[in-house]
Amino acid sequence: MSDAPLIFSPKPDRPAPADTVGLLGWIRQNLFKDVPNALMTLLGAYIIFVVTGAVVNWALIDAVWSAESRRECLDQVGRAGACWPGVAAWFKNLIYGLYPKDQVWRINLGFVLLVLWMLPLWMPKVTSKIGIGLSAVLLYPFLASYFFLGGEKALVWTALIALGLCGLIWVWSTALTETLVEKPLGSWVIGRLGVPEADERRQRQTKLICAALLFVAAFAFVSLWSLSEVRTRLWGGLFLTLVISGIGITFSLPAGILLALGRRSDLPVIAAMSTLFIELFRSVPLITILFMFNTMLPLFMPTGIEVNQLVRAIVAVCLFAAAYMAEVVRGGLQAIDKGQYEASSSLGMGYWQTTTLIVLPQALKIMIPAIVGNFIGLFKDTTLVSIIGLFDLMNMARAIGEDTRWLGLFIEPFFVVSLIYFVFCFAMSSYSMGLERKLATGRDRS
Amino acid sequence: MAVIHNPDPSDSKQRGVTRLFYDARIRSIFIQAITLALVLGFLGWLTLNTMTNLAARNLSAGFDFLDVSAGFGIGFTLIPYQESDTYLRVFFVGIMNTLLVAAVSIVLATVFGLIVGLARLSNNWIIATLSRSYIELIRNTPLLLQIIAWFFGVFVLLPRPRQSVELGEAFFLNNRGFYMPAAVPEPGFGVVTATFLACIVGTIALAIWARRRRDRTGRHFPAFFTGFGAIIVLPLGVHLALGSPLGWELPELKGLNFTGGVSVPPSFCALIVALSAYTSCFIAEIVRSGIQSVSKGQLEAAGALNLPANWTLRRVVLPQALRVIIPPLISQYLNVTKNSSLAIAIGFPDLVSVWMNTSLNQSGRAIPIVAMTMAFYCLVSISVSLVMNYYNARAQIKER
Repeated sequence: MSDAPLIFSPKPDRPAPADTVGLLGWIRQNLFKDVPNALMTLLGAYIIFVVTGAVVNWALIDAVWSAESRRECLDQVGRAGACWPGVAAWFKNLIYGLYPKDQVWRINLGFVLLVLWMLPLWMPKVTSKIGIGLSAVLLYPFLASYFFLGGEKALVWTALIALGLCGLIWVWSTALTETLVEKPLGSWVIGRLGVPEADERRQRQTKLICAALLFVAAFAFVSLWSLSEVRTRLWGGLFLTLVISGIGITFSLPAGILLALGRRSDLPVIAAMSTLFIELFRSVPLITILFMFNTMLPLFMPTGIEVNQLVRAIVAVCLFAAAYMAEVVRGGLQAIDKGQYEASSSLGMGYWQTTTLIVLPQALKIMIPAIVGNFIGLFKDTTLVSIIGLFDLMNMARAIGEDTRWLGLFIEPFFVVSLIYFVFCFAMSSYSMGLERKLATGRDRS
Repeated sequence: MAVIHNPDPSDSKQRGVTRLFYDARIRSIFIQAITLALVLGFLGWLTLNTMTNLAARNLSAGFDFLDVSAGFGIGFTLIPYQESDTYLRVFFVGIMNTLLVAAVSIVLATVFGLIVGLARLSNNWIIATLSRSYIELIRNTPLLLQIIAWFFGVFVLLPRPRQSVELGEAFFLNNRGFYMPAAVPEPGFGVVTATFLACIVGTIALAIWARRRRDRTGRHFPAFFTGFGAIIVLPLGVHLALGSPLGWELPELKGLNFTGGVSVPPSFCALIVALSAYTSCFIAEIVRSGIQSVSKGQLEAAGALNLPANWTLRRVVLPQALRVIIPPLISQYLNVTKNSSLAIAIGFPDLVSVWMNTSLNQSGRAIPIVAMTMAFYCLVSISVSLVMNYYNARAQIKER
């Protein structure tokens, strides 16, 4: 035994085998692991080559870019290439429908306003996001529907539009004060006016007076406007699709939550009625509901009340979407642990406090993917309104092939429209995945 | 006791009312009564309006029109139908067509969905990416758009019957539809059918016996393969022994069109292709999530017990994956049945198209027709949920 202490000194790690690292290693692992794998790779590459080649050839290389009619396109390339001039000639109709050309700015402005309204929701320093979101759901529709519809406005209607305008002004002034001076709008205004902070009653009065002044100013401003009426018969294209799905989405979430709560309620009558409604609307196809409302809604209304076809379609879509949303929300409610209910009632919370503060936030959070999935389904399902004769995006695309100049031009418009639908749906699902990751607190801690 | 000694009578009365208001039972009865009254009132208002409207338009809401002759033709029927047949028969023609579309699409979508779902799990990157892009592309575009695009963009543009696309001299595809040979049973074919049915019954009996024996003695008997072999071999043997008593009637080009054989219209083809492609994406995702739900430990445990590969699949992976796969799969089948109603957009005579559209417009009996259509779909979905509940009750993990 020697006295020198033995010290363990490890040799440096050997590098990983060259065929498992880097690009080459990745290719070998994922594409050419063994013979069947290599064959699959070749087959896959061949399929990709053939499909993309065919699409690129048809859509770009062999395509006709300028022509007066489909006849000209066919004379030039036959069916080998796409005939884009037809789609280009109808592109405005695909987006806006038959909306009068000189009034199209109203649609654009309407959607710009929506973007403006929602923009503060993504600003990091803004704190009153719930208020902004609620105002977008409750007040924006008044403003937008006047932009889209136009026409005569009675006193109440003017007041509602003014309320919408006030909402927009409030959203942006709140966003600005909260970003720039990091104070809520109310306290900033009060600070500016020099109202003493201790006097709560005077503060409330000041706020009310300011709100009233704003409303009066908006009312006066709105009553100066007059936009010509555009009948809903002329609505169409992507615009109509977005209007129907937008209304469906904003209606279905709250209605679905109420129905789901109703179905799980302890009150037997309410539970039974909610269940009946949900099951009835979920077990029949949307098209039967659309047909039912299309033929029966005029019968249901008192004589003399005409229900416009767009309204019939929207009512059907909303009720259908609400029933589906209810089941999604119910799934989320069922996933909440019983301990959460018990803990909140031991804190002395009542039914509504437990539901809105404890249960729903958790239930909705875990159901985000399913809820967005439902929204995507609803967006795709709006194509069904074409069957009862509305000219949504898809029906407008079909109408191109029935135009005498572009007779039989179906594939090209469908291609473009599919891309539009795909972009919308894919964006929604990607956003929901991002949101899911962002909100995943307390789970997947590993 | 403060209440009793309280000299102020109004205060005690108010407390009584307040107590009533905060009593959970009374409050729940009160809320329910109000809701019930509101809903009933609303329904009553609707009924009253409807009755007034029906009277004003001279319409009736009865079912007596079902015996009346419909007087319109239907392009594609499974059961014999003529123009002079009654509305009730139209209803059944529609139901049969809807069920046919659903059944064919379900089979195709399941097979294709299984393939795509397994491809999605492939460790070959290119195959996995390819099937993933297929799924994303099809899933994110509306089904109705796909149906219409297949119809107007493909099946209507096919060549005329004279230049049909031929598939092996027996199948023809042209702009009038898809033509295939029809089976014509000859005398003696009944014996083949009977053998086939007997084999199925025998196999089921064999499976039950094999399971009982395994439970009792632990010995395994390959009932599945034996039975499967018997179902194929025995009827085939009888069939050949009797001199193939089944004739095939091939479609033939006569004049401008084909005669003989079985044919389906282009709208049917478009519907089937679009519906199966669309549904297969959802089935593929279901298959993927089902297989991924089986934990790796299960496979390792099976390997530790030295189970052969096919036993690992059949006795370990599949039973656990199927428990996750089957419930959403069944609801996809239900969705196919509901989505087949989109046939109306391309003029295929399914239930919604012949019944809710043509018959409703002809007879004007909106209420009974809508009610019957909804009743059919409700019936289908109720029976499906009964099957599902039965399966869930059986497949539930039995905890000890």
